[in-house]
Amino acid sequence: MTGPRAARLRFAWAFVRHQLRRRFRTPPAATAEEVVTTYAQDHLRPLTPFERERLPAMSRCINCGLCALVVRRVGQVRLPDLASAYLRDLTLLPAAGADLKGGDPGPDALAAAAAICPVGVPLDEVAAAVRRLAAPEHAGVAGHAETAEPGG
Amino acid sequence: MTDGTAPSSHDAIVIGGGVTGAGVARDLALRGLSVLLLEKGDWGGGTSGASTWMVHGGPRYLEFDWDTTVLSTEDAGNIVRIARHMVHRCVVLVPVMPEDGLGIERLETAMEVYDRYQPRKESRPHIRLTGEEARRVEPGLAPGVVAAVTLDEWGVDPHRLAWANVLDAVRSGAQAFNHCRVESLLRDGSAIAGVRYRAADGQRVEARARIVVNAAGPWAPQVAAMAGAEVRLRPAKGIHIVYDRRLSNFAISAEAVDGRDVILVPHGGVTFLGTTDDDHYGDLDALEVTPDEVDYLLQAAERVFPSIRAHRPVRATAGVRATLFDWRPRADRLSRRFEVIDHEREDRVPGLVTVAGGKLSLYRLMAERTADAVCARLRHRARCVTGSRPLPGASGVAPPVRELAAEHGISTLAATRILARHGSEAPEVLDDPRRGRLACRCEVVTEAELVHAARHEQVRTLADAFRRLGLAAGPCAGTSCVERAAEVIGHELGWSPSQVREAARDYVTGSWRGRAPVLDRWGWAQEELAYGARRGWPGGL
Repeated sequence: MTGPRAARLRFAWAFVRHQLRRRFRTPPAATAEEVVTTYAQDHLRPLTPFERERLPAMSRCINCGLCALVVRRVGQVRLPDLASAYLRDLTLLPAAGADLKGGDPGPDALAAAAAICPVGVPLDEVAAAVRRLAAPEHAGVAGHAETAEPGG
Repeated sequence: MTDGTAPSSHDAIVIGGGVTGAGVARDLALRGLSVLLLEKGDWGGGTSGASTWMVHGGPRYLEFDWDTTVLSTEDAGNIVRIARHMVHRCVVLVPVMPEDGLGIERLETAMEVYDRYQPRKESRPHIRLTGEEARRVEPGLAPGVVAAVTLDEWGVDPHRLAWANVLDAVRSGAQAFNHCRVESLLRDGSAIAGVRYRAADGQRVEARARIVVNAAGPWAPQVAAMAGAEVRLRPAKGIHIVYDRRLSNFAISAEAVDGRDVILVPHGGVTFLGTTDDDHYGDLDALEVTPDEVDYLLQAAERVFPSIRAHRPVRATAGVRATLFDWRPRADRLSRRFEVIDHEREDRVPGLVTVAGGKLSLYRLMAERTADAVCARLRHRARCVTGSRPLPGASGVAPPVRELAAEHGISTLAATRILARHGSEAPEVLDDPRRGRLACRCEVVTEAELVHAARHEQVRTLADAFRRLGLAAGPCAGTSCVERAAEVIGHELGWSPSQVREAARDYVTGSWRGRAPVLDRWGWAQEELAYGARRGWPGGL
């Protein structure tokens, strides 16, 4: 039997079985760590609550290049590219982390660069978030054992 | 490869270069038939590209169309295996609000059933979370979320998937031309004997074939009408809002005000929010995104992801699904099943076969069944191999990211992007002195890739480069790259300086149509910067 009616019948039977199963054998509740561990190989890392709150501001970059007049690079990365290229496909950051190695201008210099940004991108926060998400050893649930605030 | 301007003769002509048409051409070519594939725009530039970019089984169909879910999971698995470098895991958080019609128990029932089919596409079983644990996975979820389940699916760029099918077809002996519009069908008595099309340079060309395949998606009724045959569809328009980055590493499902499901889903460096699903009666070639459609999606998303309006959209997409005709069901409850129509049997029009309906995740199976019908008509016996033969870039071993980056002197981010687009063929793409020069900094597209795309990937416009490589798809929406990209592509294609400028201007004005409905204040700041940068162009914008 196929078609919508059969689909509804099969689904109804599955629902009855599900209810009975949960009545007699409720499995222990899963944790966020289980999700993160399951998908660690796919680099699906959660944002921290701080990063989540600040992401809209970190996303305003219009690639005007003014910040590069204050700080040219973070590691080998041209500063405007941090927000407009690196803080985009977050799953690639662990593989692309090598680009960030080398010169670290430090939070003060980045804050100075942020001060002249015409759209107010918090570049120090962008750099901290990119570094955290690129770090190979950080695969835990965000916002608990670690921080992504600048200089944290 | 010729340029499609010479008359030709083939076993089969396929009309429509979406992923299904490209899949049909690939299948037929691999079975040893001579094939011509024609696309009026660019590969995957219609319905395929305007989809949600997901290769999935669709657990929501379990409640009314079980068979489609089962078939989709099966064929999604094939796609994952043959396009390994292109697909990425897409884990959806399906949150439950207290007032949701679909409670956690009914939702988990669907997931338990769906879990049975998940191994077919190398996906993992669902995980049920409390609201609190779900917010630890995605801190942006609304405080009111009481529970959630994970749903493990796959994502793919349909433009590249369509192109990979075209490329494999060409490597197997097919001819394939984009920007070639079929204007009429040739007849031999009552039978269809070929097509007359307008080539990219405007020439009218005739191509003859023993059979013509209509794989034109929502345009299929128009193609069938050229033969006096009928294909009944119930086209449904769907729009997406596109954000300039991953808003989360997890996709988030949401219920809209009318109970429909919409989804916020990350793909590569962007996020899609969609889709709407409304009956469409207008011009298929002039789709517009309305403010109401944008508000509908934002309202749905903000209920479970309150910060959505603070994020910056960069464009919107609109497409039309080629759903099979059915009277009464709401557009989003229409079955995603497909049909292969032999018009000799249905309309007494020999020589024409139509494939209609379906969804992205079923494209390979749709192509296989269509090729079966064509081979039966042509009395050609050959086995389908598309379910096991890797697409270009998915065979062989791709070099490790750091090795590729070090060998070619590019950033590791550029290397990861190139590997995602070209797989094991990435080193050949980078075999060019311009490999170290970035054309598009946001999407990390090198000039070498643009050169390769113009020479080997049938890129003829900047919009083609947007589809093939993601050029100008990032936050700056092309402010920094379109002029240089036009120069690089123009040099390869022999454009004059005025043609280069014209190509850049065409891209800017064309992409504006997709951006205007969704710009927020940061988007307008970007527009001002872009406008200022282009004030010096001869003739302005």
